Amino acid sequence: MIRLLNILVIAALVLAAADVYKIKFESTRQAQRVVKLRMDIRRENDAIAALRAEWSKLDNPARIQELARRHLALKPVEGRQFDRLDQLPERPPDLVPVDDPDPIGTVLANPELVDRTPTGSLPARAPR
Amino acid sequence: MHAPDAEQSDPPRQAEPWRRRLMRSLLYGRNVDRAAKAKARIGLAILIFTLGYAVITARLVMFAVAPDPHAGRRVIGHDAVATARPDILDRNGEILATDVRSPSLFGEPHRIIDVDEASELLTASVPELDAPELRERLGSKRRFVWLKREITPRQREQIYRLGLPGIGFLPENKRVYPNGAEVAHVIGHVNVDNQGIAGIEKWLDSRGLADLHMAGLATDRLQKPVELSVDLRVQHALRDELVAARNKYKALAAAGLLTDVRTGEIIALVSVPDYDSNNPREALDPTRINRLTTGVFEMGSTFKALTVAMALDSGKITLKSAFDARFPLQYGKHTIHDFHAQNRVLTVPEIFTYSSNIGTARMALSLGVEHHKQFLRKLGQLDRLRTELPESAEPLVPRRWAELNTVTIAFGHGLSVAPLQAMMAFGALMNGGHLIPPTFLKRGEQEAMALATRVIKPETSDKMRYLMRLNVEKGTATRADVKGYYVGGKTGTSEKVVAGRYSKTKVLTAFTAVLPADQPRYGLLIMLDEPRPTPESHGFATSGWNAVPVGGAVISRIAPVLGLEPRYDLPTSDKLILASAPAR
Repeated sequence: MIRLLNILVIAALVLAAADVYKIKFESTRQAQRVVKLRMDIRRENDAIAALRAEWSKLDNPARIQELARRHLALKPVEGRQFDRLDQLPERPPDLVPVDDPDPIGTVLANPELVDRTPTGSLPARAPR
Repeated sequence: MHAPDAEQSDPPRQAEPWRRRLMRSLLYGRNVDRAAKAKARIGLAILIFTLGYAVITARLVMFAVAPDPHAGRRVIGHDAVATARPDILDRNGEILATDVRSPSLFGEPHRIIDVDEASELLTASVPELDAPELRERLGSKRRFVWLKREITPRQREQIYRLGLPGIGFLPENKRVYPNGAEVAHVIGHVNVDNQGIAGIEKWLDSRGLADLHMAGLATDRLQKPVELSVDLRVQHALRDELVAARNKYKALAAAGLLTDVRTGEIIALVSVPDYDSNNPREALDPTRINRLTTGVFEMGSTFKALTVAMALDSGKITLKSAFDARFPLQYGKHTIHDFHAQNRVLTVPEIFTYSSNIGTARMALSLGVEHHKQFLRKLGQLDRLRTELPESAEPLVPRRWAELNTVTIAFGHGLSVAPLQAMMAFGALMNGGHLIPPTFLKRGEQEAMALATRVIKPETSDKMRYLMRLNVEKGTATRADVKGYYVGGKTGTSEKVVAGRYSKTKVLTAFTAVLPADQPRYGLLIMLDEPRPTPESHGFATSGWNAVPVGGAVISRIAPVLGLEPRYDLPTSDKLILASAPAR
């Protein structure tokens, strides 16, 4: 009886030792992984910071302005280009019936259909 | 107590062999019951082991519940020398300043085998290195020497390939300012050890970051970014216009300031010439100072707004009061003239729109010196204004404040204040009478109201805005009337003191504006230092010919960016602002 108990206890001890060893080994591995991941995160963060710095350098308003001046025909927005929704003129009646099979052709055939009223934000165009 | 027991069990023990008896007597002593004693000892052993395992279990539970606070720091920390700083963002989250990691080159002289070879190879890879100095450093007795801070990754690669013993790299945090000079006067700059030297950067250090550095804790880049009230887009537009204006009018300097009059936030602050934060050496040039906070100026006629507000707020003077401006004001041996002389009796609005020195002087005199002084103190014009920026200038207040001082200060001469300070008072005149200390950090309206002190009555503020608008409709500031934004403004031209006398040709022109005048949101200040006349200004260099058109250009450019809704066909100021103001 005692002998059996001893054997059982010894077996349990061996098992426990093996398990502790396994846990210890695993935890070391995990710790190394944590260190590695932390370093990776750090490296990623550094890269993100560098990229963000570069982005905002490229996004600098002075640079964009210079590029726009050189390559685009656009101009700074002016106040008169904004208007309120309730100040929009009524939608003009359709130039041609909706079910017209060839709307462009109809307009071209009847030039008087085109609405030449100047809209709110844009001044009337000088006659050509 | 086991003695009788032992006596009884004596006879069988005689059967034991003598060797075992000897062992037993050595181990347990004579006449002791071995079984009972062993039982007690086993009990003791069980107790000790139980306690031991209980302690271990408790520790395990503690480790599992509370994570080890030192674990993280052990990994980081040893490699960053120049400490990390929080990012600085503008009000929309655009980066104004950030940290980038870059390697720095160091040497350990005691481990270097051949100093000459090492320095030769190093100068070949990094041409900026000074060869004799490098040789001297590497030959020194010290254990650690910096060779070059912040080298490029390519140089690092090259040096690494050289395989020199005793040469190594440390990654360091380097502060970069992607926007260069655009916001330099606000954010300032840092030194090579990443310590703030000027501007918001220095303020960050004074908030305890420096102490963190000392403790070696601030190496993490995960610090909370600092959000400024500055809007980079507006800042750029303002700077762009001011640089153009400075060239056009050949001015010594130009400065501009945009504040939110309801919160005291500074949306844009530009003072050209400025410097590039990435190249702090430029900041040493005294012409590149921040004129809005570190300079003090006689604000000229823009200061008349304060005098008129004081007069209207006293209740003794109304918009219908009239003052004699027929003759120049004789005061002792001084004579006060009007620039746009009308030579007649002027009402308060006329005094404001013709910018009459005589009228404002008489207005201030009628209220007395003490009242004037008290009012300016209440508006914070006589004390140093402190903001987040460490640089601030003390106003130059006359030591003896006689009537003559009141006369001149009434129209903005004889008292020099920082322009930011003047704008704080101007904001209070516009926003309904709340004096709000300006800030460079984001702030809400309620927070601002908690800090604000009431300095004038709301009705006075309404009248002031009426006068400001009137001045744009038919006064000295008509060139700033940007359609749709209902601008109100006051011009100012002050003569600069040259060799102790007021100069006729060297002037400082200023323009303060509020937009929109009926629902004040923003206050704008434009200042030009010694602008020259241009061909189209007919020989004039007064504010109306330079600062005002610049102000108009700035407003038409920034108003859409600020999201102000343009409104057309608004009635004139006497109908819109005066009529809607509650009758007193």
